[in-house]
Amino acid sequence: WAGYGRCGVAVVRVSGPASATALRSMAGHRLPPPRTALLRSITDPLSGEMLDRGLVLWFPAPHSFTGEDSVEFHIHGGPAVITAVLQALGSVPGTRPAEAGEFTRRAFQAGKLDLTEVEGLGDLIHAETEAQRRQALRQMSGELGHIYRDWSHKLKRCLAHIEAFIDFSEDELIEDGVLDQADRSVCDLQSQIEQHLRDERRGERLRSGVHVVIAGATNAGKSSLLNTLCQRPAAIVSPIAGTTRDIVETAVDIGGFPVLLSDTAGLRESADLVEQEGVRRARERVQQADLTLLVVDSTCLPSDVQRAAGFLSEHLRNMCLLVLNKSDLLPETQRQKLKMELRGVSGLPAVCLLSCQTNEGLKDFLTVLQSSVKTLCGDPLAGAPTLTQARHRAHLQQCVAALSQFQRYRDSDLALAAEGVRLALTSLGRITGRVGAEEILDIIFKDFCIGK
Amino acid sequence: MLTKKLQPVQSFLSLVSRSVGHFPRQHYDVIVVGGGHAGTEAAAAAARLGAETLLITQKIHTIGALSCNPSLGGVGKGHLVREVDALDGLCGRAGDWAGISFSILNRRKGPAVWGPRAQLDRQRYREFMQSELLSTPRLTVMEGSVEELLVTDPNPEQPGQHRVNGICLANSSHPISASSVVLTTGTFLSGSLFIGQTTSPGGRIGDAPSSAGLSHTLRERLGLKVGRLRTGTPPRIVKDSVDLSLATLNPPDSSPTPFSFMNTHTRCRPEEQLPCYLTYTTPGVERVVRESLHLNCHIQQDAKGPRYCPSIESRVLRFPGRRHQVWLEPEGLTSDLLYPQGLSMTMPPDVQLRLIREIPPLHKAEIHMPGYGVQYDFVCPTQLSPSLQVKSTQGLFLAGQINGTTGYEEAAAQGLWAGVNAGRRALSKPPVALSRTESYIGVLIDDLVSRGVTEPYRMFTSRAEFRTSLRPDNADLRLTLKGFELGCVSSSRHQKAVRVKNSLQDALAALQALSLSTTSWKRKIPDVHVSEANSNMLSGIEMLQYKDVSFQVLASIFPEVLLPFMEFSQRLKIEAVYRPHCESNKREIQRIQEEENMSLPEDIDYLSLPVSLSQEVREVLHRARPSTLGAATRLEGITPAAVVNLFNYVGLNKHNSGCQGERKRRRTLEKTKTRLR
Repeated sequence: WAGYGRCGVAVVRVSGPASATALRSMAGHRLPPPRTALLRSITDPLSGEMLDRGLVLWFPAPHSFTGEDSVEFHIHGGPAVITAVLQALGSVPGTRPAEAGEFTRRAFQAGKLDLTEVEGLGDLIHAETEAQRRQALRQMSGELGHIYRDWSHKLKRCLAHIEAFIDFSEDELIEDGVLDQADRSVCDLQSQIEQHLRDERRGERLRSGVHVVIAGATNAGKSSLLNTLCQRPAAIVSPIAGTTRDIVETAVDIGGFPVLLSDTAGLRESADLVEQEGVRRARERVQQADLTLLVVDSTCLPSDVQRAAGFLSEHLRNMCLLVLNKSDLLPETQRQKLKMELRGVSGLPAVCLLSCQTNEGLKDFLTVLQSSVKTLCGDPLAGAPTLTQARHRAHLQQCVAALSQFQRYRDSDLALAAEGVRLALTSLGRITGRVGAEEILDIIFKDFCIGK
Repeated sequence: MLTKKLQPVQSFLSLVSRSVGHFPRQHYDVIVVGGGHAGTEAAAAAARLGAETLLITQKIHTIGALSCNPSLGGVGKGHLVREVDALDGLCGRAGDWAGISFSILNRRKGPAVWGPRAQLDRQRYREFMQSELLSTPRLTVMEGSVEELLVTDPNPEQPGQHRVNGICLANSSHPISASSVVLTTGTFLSGSLFIGQTTSPGGRIGDAPSSAGLSHTLRERLGLKVGRLRTGTPPRIVKDSVDLSLATLNPPDSSPTPFSFMNTHTRCRPEEQLPCYLTYTTPGVERVVRESLHLNCHIQQDAKGPRYCPSIESRVLRFPGRRHQVWLEPEGLTSDLLYPQGLSMTMPPDVQLRLIREIPPLHKAEIHMPGYGVQYDFVCPTQLSPSLQVKSTQGLFLAGQINGTTGYEEAAAQGLWAGVNAGRRALSKPPVALSRTESYIGVLIDDLVSRGVTEPYRMFTSRAEFRTSLRPDNADLRLTLKGFELGCVSSSRHQKAVRVKNSLQDALAALQALSLSTTSWKRKIPDVHVSEANSNMLSGIEMLQYKDVSFQVLASIFPEVLLPFMEFSQRLKIEAVYRPHCESNKREIQRIQEEENMSLPEDIDYLSLPVSLSQEVREVLHRARPSTLGAATRLEGITPAAVVNLFNYVGLNKHNSGCQGERKRRRTLEKTKTRLR
């Protein structure tokens, strides 16, 4: 059994063979009809004292989350009620408190969930933003596992046909066409998996957060931008150049997408050892970032607006937004000129003119930022479900490599070629479950008339 | 009662047997019941080990009889023959003696799946087996029918509820005692023969049925679970009545490859070999099958037949509207019969004749002996340990079709291994097991004892996880040295294997030392496309991995280093190509071996084990009772999580595990976890 906290209603779940005993001894001798909520008095089995009145539910195996007999007590959420019920449960023979994650583990062991679904469930519980929740829910309901199982199924069939050709073709009517079919399937699968891998890490990013780094020269207003975005004074802000020396990190929700925002030391040559280290860390962080917000003090731009574009392109790297801060310090005419001049300059990323002081231009900036983050994560509801974990990526890469072993040996040594498909299947199997030799034989005998 | 005591026989053909007027000894180390493919190997292996052995068979002149097809080997099965030979068994040499048509199947599919195969002369095969057995030291061959097993209380120091310590013969009041008894009764355990609507007791046509007492003892006295299987054999056809010009000729290899590592050539000369012929079924065959279903008892029965050696009836019923292959195989050099592989059938004889005459080359064919079906009991092999001893019964070993397998080669492999273990038990040595990481025999036995059978079990190469390492060419390297340590391999074979092993090692070292730049290699072998990606040095082994580079080519460039190894040129080429794959297999093999070394206690109660296991998993474990953790991981329905939990439980409960053992256990656990991740 598990569950604790302080709230209106608490649910105490019991799973395993002693569930029915627990329910009978605490909420009346007759088991309720399966999966029907009934209001019952909940009593201590030893003293007979009533502890609470609440709903009880009975889920006989295998139709429960864990696949075992399960019981739920919906009781009032006060700590005293919960403690009393848990203590009473403890006196029922054969019960003990659940370990962390034990219910899910039992569900996995009973084959109720495959590994990707377990991972999806974990992600769902930990989801902090709307987009994360959507992605986790898709995975938990088995969509990702479905893709992998489908590939696994195709590969099994493919292997079965190759194995049939190896073990039986000398004596039986197994046409060479069987191998051509396997060739085509392997090719198809390889390109599908490669396509799946070429997702620019969107799913993983959505799961673990987009790394956005604020970088730029000292005193450009990077820390102010961080504070503005997370709506609290997370970083110290001062007019002194070089205030931020180490990296300041904070997690924010940008339009439903998780963003890990890092403020870095301003980039400049410095004799100060601590500041030098800060600058090194800042550069390193920029290298690893999914998106860089390059902050420029707009008062430092060349007053000749024509040259501003050239000046800015020197600061660029791949995925980057230009933030021209302190717009409030520019005269209105200069602002208009800048906006006109920088719009649509080729080779220049999106440019946002804003003031962290007055929040002018902030709304436009947020719109631009949100759409960049969304591009980086992809839409969790559109298209095929995406890779969410590095673990899956590693197995899929092994799978693709093994499939090229098939192609390398296809004509010279079918045993080594088949070994490639076997390895590929094992790699896929490690994502969801396992494959045995008997399964392959079953397919062989279903598809061919083997008579020798 | 006729007893034949062996004597060393010089010639294969001089079948010397001495009739002994008095009773045989009252005690043997090992008694083998049955003289088929399992029994002959078991008796010979036990005797090689040094055990005083008695082989009891119904008729000495049917020892080595090929009850069904006149052929040996094939894909997967050929691997078994090579392994039995590497352990000094008989069937490989018998095949070389009796073969009349040799071919390597799968020649174009890679050496790991080559299938050495031969058509056999039935007469010669029997001759070889009988003369070999009758001349084996410490082996007595006796005709008789076993009525009962002698069952007593178990030795309390060993696991098991019973002990078998001998046998009782029919028509004799004198029991014969033995430390080990090996049962290889084939299809004779409660066997019934089927032709059309008639059924008669028996295991093979022309032989007396075996005693019901044996079957009763196994089931009732020892409480063994038995199941029922079926098989069948085709009619034998008079060769002169067949129009072979209407079939496709399928010639053998022009140069026969022997099965045995000890032979350089076969008895049959290349030009003496006989071909096989290929023909096909017609729609008429399907029609006759359908019309005669009501006359066909065997096909209506519920016993499970193999999916891969089905009768013609089940072939046309399962895959209607197709044509099916029929091979017409010679039965011997001088035999006037043909064996129609693929036409196993059980309908009444007159319908059999109608059926075969629907096939063009057989349109005037005459049947010498009709086909028939057999149903028989087998002992569910999950009740055996990997030594092929019955878990609950000390001293009782089972091998061959009694364990639910089909095929001569599968029977021979089990027979040999049961014989080795029966002999070891008699000599007070602990049981031994072969791992599935080192041999097809290991795969076969592990599949049987840990998974059991639902249909007659046959070997396929796809059953072996480490197929690229377990090749027919290297069976001697894998098994002969080990076999010598166990005592089942003669010293002459051992010496030969050691010499081969050393030569191969030397040759590979020499090849490795030949390190040249890509450009130098290109200059020396201009027509080979060496990929530019390997810009640096390439060794001789790496060059040999190229498809078009043979050892001969390299030897012609470096004669002084490589010419001494010319006799191994084919083996070296194979070793070089497979080496990288075998290397990557090694880690996985090591992991499995470690898991296999973690034995699960025999008395473990899975249903109440205080470990987190789902009910399904508990039931699977309870039914299968795997002997090691490795065997448990391969069971259907065992989840990775269950393996880890079981692993923890077994590890923690090993009382004898000291500090070092604990560390090793942790390491194995880490590896297991990594793999499962």
